[in-house]
Amino acid sequence: MTPLLSVSELAVSYGAVPAVKGASLEIFPGEVRVILGANGAGKTTIIKTVLGLLRPRGGEVRYNGEHNLLRLKPHQIRRLGLAWVPEGRQLWNTLTVIDNLRMGGFAESDRKAVDRRVDEMFERFPRLRERRDQVAGSLSGGEQQMVAIARALIAAPKLLLMDEPSLGLAPIVVRDVFRLVRDINAMGISILMVEQNARQALRVASWAYLLEVGAIVDGGPADDIASHSRVQAVFLGGEA
Amino acid sequence: MGLLLQQIANGLIIGSTYAVVALGFSLAFTVLRVINFAHPDIFMVGMFAGLVFALPGPWGLLVALAAGMLGAAAVGWALERTVISPLRGRDVLMTLIGTLGVAIMLENGMALIVGPDPVSYPNLVPRQFVDVGPVTLTLRQVVNFAICLMLLALVSFYVRATKFGRATRAIAERPDVAAAFGVDVGLVCQVTIVIASAMAGVAAVSVGALYGSAHAFVGLLYGLKAFTCMLVAGDRYFEGVMVVALGLGIIEALVTGYLSSSLRDAVAFFVLIGVLLFRPNGLFGSYAA
Repeated sequence: MTPLLSVSELAVSYGAVPAVKGASLEIFPGEVRVILGANGAGKTTIIKTVLGLLRPRGGEVRYNGEHNLLRLKPHQIRRLGLAWVPEGRQLWNTLTVIDNLRMGGFAESDRKAVDRRVDEMFERFPRLRERRDQVAGSLSGGEQQMVAIARALIAAPKLLLMDEPSLGLAPIVVRDVFRLVRDINAMGISILMVEQNARQALRVASWAYLLEVGAIVDGGPADDIASHSRVQAVFLGGEA
Repeated sequence: MGLLLQQIANGLIIGSTYAVVALGFSLAFTVLRVINFAHPDIFMVGMFAGLVFALPGPWGLLVALAAGMLGAAAVGWALERTVISPLRGRDVLMTLIGTLGVAIMLENGMALIVGPDPVSYPNLVPRQFVDVGPVTLTLRQVVNFAICLMLLALVSFYVRATKFGRATRAIAERPDVAAAFGVDVGLVCQVTIVIASAMAGVAAVSVGALYGSAHAFVGLLYGLKAFTCMLVAGDRYFEGVMVVALGLGIIEALVTGYLSSSLRDAVAFFVLIGVLLFRPNGLFGSYAA
């Protein structure tokens, strides 16, 4: 089977400072895979490079085996079926909730289809319907994360890139978010997730990569990685 | 009371022109993060394009407005392609210096063609007076005000109620996220500069018709005021800059009416600087705050 996304030997620098040094990973259709790593390990850099927002120094990013993403601009990559839940939500705070959601479907030319998907999201998150005409900046953290996820789902992606979806949320909301990740995957959407909450992430993912200072140091089935001593020590606080 | 209302009306009319130029500045800055110092001279080019194509007769004004719009839009588009687009995304000073160079070129190029002195503008609007309650205005003032308000309303509608306008605001706040959701940022930047230039061109023709003269260096006056209005309004809401520009016009007219016309600019800038002292991110806030 061809991987949906394959990243090989990716190297990205900010000026002279290398952030990612030859990272390789892949994800197959229907999977949830997670990249675990500490702050500054280069997780967000990998995601932004796949989306075309950063230009790498070297390496290759292939989508569906045929498209070389490094040759495309972000808006062209979006049209191939990728969507993004950015770190820290990154909503348009001055736009209303409904406008944020409509922007999720910007690449879709069929306006009715977008309206229908927006309505589906209001069914799923009734609280967003109540807030539809409020500016997104006025919502709580949990509500903002729902908008960020709904915005990405309205793009009807094949591959969803989620950057620390649990960051800065209350524990009860974190559980909701991971339940949602499972639901989204059950809809047939593949998910590549970056997380620091290793315990929860390893429960939803089938495969995990370990990223340390810009290099993938380990990768394997999530269960194996969970029992790995280094993961135990660094991410799970030494207890199983 | 009569003088007060009269001066407020005069102020709103001057202010509406400032608002159109300032909104063009503000669009370039909020969407492209570019300080487009050539913008006031694109206004000037629009004014002369309207002058060249001004025909006598009932359609004269419309033809001149269209010529001003197209002339300014063409120069704006060429500026975006050749100077702004290649220099954008690096230091903000690069585009500032680049557009300043274009501004100097346009002003002096025009002065070379038409001379450095004011040129008389064709009579596009008849000289007659209009009484609005206690206030007496010229028909030219009314036409200028109506055109400027229409431009402001159109742009406001565009950014609030159209899909492309929504994408424009999305780029202003988070260009990366907008791009990742399918917005062609380069295209929106081109469209934004063309819209800003086109509206400046239309306003320029109506200002030419209002004062009956055009001048190669007319951009300087409008540029400085429009730029200050943008800083005072902040970059969070496009409409903020309109409010500040109208306010500036009223302050100027009141100072002219009650104090002295030579104090006009001094008082206006004093108030604007005073506002920045207490609200450094602008009256209506900034994305950076």
